[in-house]
Amino acid sequence: MSHKWGLVVDLDRCTGCEACVVACHAENNIPTVGKDQAAIGRTMQWIRVERTWEGDFPNPKVRFQPVLCQQCDAAPCEAVCPTYASYHTEEGLNGQAYNRCIGTRFCANACPYTVRSFNFYNPQWQKPLNLQLNPDVSVRSVGIMEKCTFCVQRIKSAEIQAEAEKRDLKDGEFTTACAQSCASKALVFGDLNDPHSEVSRLASSSRATKLLGELGTKPNVTYLERGAWQDANNG
Amino acid sequence: MGWQKWLLFIVAGSSVWVLAEVVSRAQAAGPTASSQYVTSGVFTPAHATAASAFKDFLDLHPEHPVQPIAFTHTVHLAKRMQCTTCHVGVNRGPDAQIPNVTFCMGCHMVIDTNNPEIKKIAAYQARREDIPWARVYNYSPSAHVRFNHAPHIRAGVVCSTCHGDMTKQTTAERKVNLNMGFCVQCHKQKQVSVDCATCHY
Repeated sequence: MSHKWGLVVDLDRCTGCEACVVACHAENNIPTVGKDQAAIGRTMQWIRVERTWEGDFPNPKVRFQPVLCQQCDAAPCEAVCPTYASYHTEEGLNGQAYNRCIGTRFCANACPYTVRSFNFYNPQWQKPLNLQLNPDVSVRSVGIMEKCTFCVQRIKSAEIQAEAEKRDLKDGEFTTACAQSCASKALVFGDLNDPHSEVSRLASSSRATKLLGELGTKPNVTYLERGAWQDANNG
Repeated sequence: MGWQKWLLFIVAGSSVWVLAEVVSRAQAAGPTASSQYVTSGVFTPAHATAASAFKDFLDLHPEHPVQPIAFTHTVHLAKRMQCTTCHVGVNRGPDAQIPNVTFCMGCHMVIDTNNPEIKKIAAYQARREDIPWARVYNYSPSAHVRFNHAPHIRAGVVCSTCHGDMTKQTTAERKVNLNMGFCVQCHKQKQVSVDCATCHY
């Protein structure tokens, strides 16, 4: 059975703690660029937590929304890549073949979610931080675009293990770094083709919605709308 | 006229190389390390030197790296030892291990103890050091390849397909050029995925 990887973000559960961001940086060897570079919009993140405020001073409400690559089925980034570095993998992920990338940054301009990061400089990890690099993920160099891969290294290693034991992948056997680190279980990763998986159950919730769904990009990340119960309680 | 054009090309190419080498050395000595941030705003090329970029581009490797111990694969394999006797874990995980000094000395405490090479190993063990083997097969970091031995072994690919006939080698030599054409050819023959994300991530 072929897989269709998906992620559900329950906005009611997200506390904005940014553990997912930290976990993603550690898992995927993402460099930190420093405040000078961040100030000119060169932050490198595969997942970020967007913060918005609602209401005025006496009762302001803060809203958090983790945003990562939506792994669109009709991805705007793929169509514009002149070197096919950004392409659709056999499992339906938006792949990024680093070897092919020549750094035109067309994909980042095309992406409506602005989730792609470009290496303006060679990443550096001062000793001993270089020892923390994950050996399962390559370190991208200058001039390469990168983005969330749905932790493809974990998908591959789970598939290889399942194949060795001659069985199908089980739901919840592995998960992405962000979902693993989420203390409030706001992020749930799994196979949307498996009707019994947790992620399928959540994705068919009545609260389910897609980020910028009107654009028709067919994202594989589903957001569960916040506050239905709050509105009912608070009137 | 033809050879003059070539001469011009060679002279221009080599002067660019020399210039790039000087610039990259100057940058290497620059203030990048003292930067306050993890990744500094100082541009550095993807390769430390122009020579290493040149070698990487042309896929040049030392075919027969010099090893600290003149280990003889020939002799060990002639005694009916298996590859997996020493390179354990090859059927379970990404890496085929290289045994530590203690493992070597497990046999060589009693076998061929007067051999000067064995004495070298004994000296490493006495100093509690591992043998600093030189890497024979490696991918360049810019290849972005993640290779896992286990699925290849399970698919029945024999070691010699990629590592050459070890029964004829003393210390390991890079007999097979592991470029992408080599990998993809076999993947196509065995009808397994040739998707980029199978190996490159």
